Amino acid sequence: MESLILNATEDTPKIVLNKKDKEFLIAERSLPENAFDFYKPVYEWLEKYVLDPLEETEFHVNLDYFNTASAKQLGKIFNLLENIKSSLFVKWHYASDDQDMLESGQRYARLT
Amino acid sequence: MSLQEETTYKIIDILDKESMSYFYRGHLTQSITDGILALTETNLTKANEPVKVKKRVYTILVEGLQNITRHQEGPQGHKSFFGVEQSGEYYYITMSNIIPNQNIDHLSGQLDKINNLEKEELKTFYKQALLENELSDKGGAGLGLIEMARKSGNKLQYDFKKINEQHSYFYLRTYIKHNLSTVDSNTRHLDFSNIFKLHEQLESEDVLIIFNGIFNQESLINLLSIIESQMATQPSLRKKVFNIMVELLQNIVKHGLAINDSDGNPGLFYISAINDGYKLNTGNFIKTEDIDALKDKIDQVNKLDNKELNEFYDKRLFNFQIDNSKESGLGLIELRLKSNAKLEYAFKKESEEHSFFTIEVTINR
Repeated sequence: MESLILNATEDTPKIVLNKKDKEFLIAERSLPENAFDFYKPVYEWLEKYVLDPLEETEFHVNLDYFNTASAKQLGKIFNLLENIKSSLFVKWHYASDDQDMLESGQRYARLT
Repeated sequence: MSLQEETTYKIIDILDKESMSYFYRGHLTQSITDGILALTETNLTKANEPVKVKKRVYTILVEGLQNITRHQEGPQGHKSFFGVEQSGEYYYITMSNIIPNQNIDHLSGQLDKINNLEKEELKTFYKQALLENELSDKGGAGLGLIEMARKSGNKLQYDFKKINEQHSYFYLRTYIKHNLSTVDSNTRHLDFSNIFKLHEQLESEDVLIIFNGIFNQESLINLLSIIESQMATQPSLRKKVFNIMVELLQNIVKHGLAINDSDGNPGLFYISAINDGYKLNTGNFIKTEDIDALKDKIDQVNKLDNKELNEFYDKRLFNFQIDNSKESGLGLIELRLKSNAKLEYAFKKESEEHSFFTIEVTINR
């Protein structure tokens, strides 16, 4: 399965989806004008991945900031990842003084 | 009329609604200067200005900003002020910084001298000043003024306004015409009365930045970087402001109404400091027929308490019926959640088709 790697820009996050090296990451900041379009290839990649996942998937989210449009797309991604029947860990990273980012992570944890 | 509405309209009345402008009020640092320059570059590029005009506006900005950066210490509550406006064929650059009263005579003399020189004479004067500057190493305020006069091709209009026995505001304003070949001796463009009014208004409301113009993702990013570097406050509050700004400005980008085929949506943004936080305001055009629906949406989130807001957010987050390039259904809930206060808003009908919508979000520590 071919990897999907996107470098971060000032308004879009770094994306690493690499099955071979077992790397799954969304990082930095996400505030694209059109989050729906930006996350479309990410979602499509994961749609294929969940059909034939690794025995263990460790998915890292290490965002400093995301807008509400991105929040929705993250929700969609987590929803999709629930289809993985093998072992799945979503690791939500946040700065120790960032209460908002902690709460966002707790929200997703509660809802999925 | 609510207080929020009143302030917004006072500002709009002073600014030319047809023009693009931004004003910054506060301590200038290198990163803020960089942000202002990037914002200007974006706007000049969007406006398809010839390279020559772009370069001139840019040079005047750099000189002006450096001039302020060197001389900006003043009494409490008084801050430097800086603005760029584009109206019709003209770019106006306005700057104001605080100077000791004893410098007024020298500065006026220097400016009068510059304003009396013809193009060629200015060039000679510049070379001479450059040489003296190198020899005396006095720091180049004089050079900056000559350079500004040369690049604008127009007189440097100036004025002083006394703050107290020790300090005054020094105002400097010049302009560049898009069509550089035509000489324009019209000085009505250099009237300071509106600038004084605006500065007073901004000072009384403690406004830090105003952007009046076309909103797109690029101007949003530039404004964010200016605000981010301006706020000397704890990270959590800075992040909240950042958060709200993105939602408010992206609302204009996504839902604002384009008027006159503009490349983006016209609108207004300003942020002011309050006792224990900030107030963020935006204004943009919407269709008059959409007022009721928008009003209902805001009233709906205004009614909810924190717990209900969180439940509403949870429900919307995983409601994939509302999911497209324009809407996630979360923006207003987020504004309300992050602000801990009701969202203030107003609509002003401009015509049967268009109305002006303003909204204010208060963020406390």
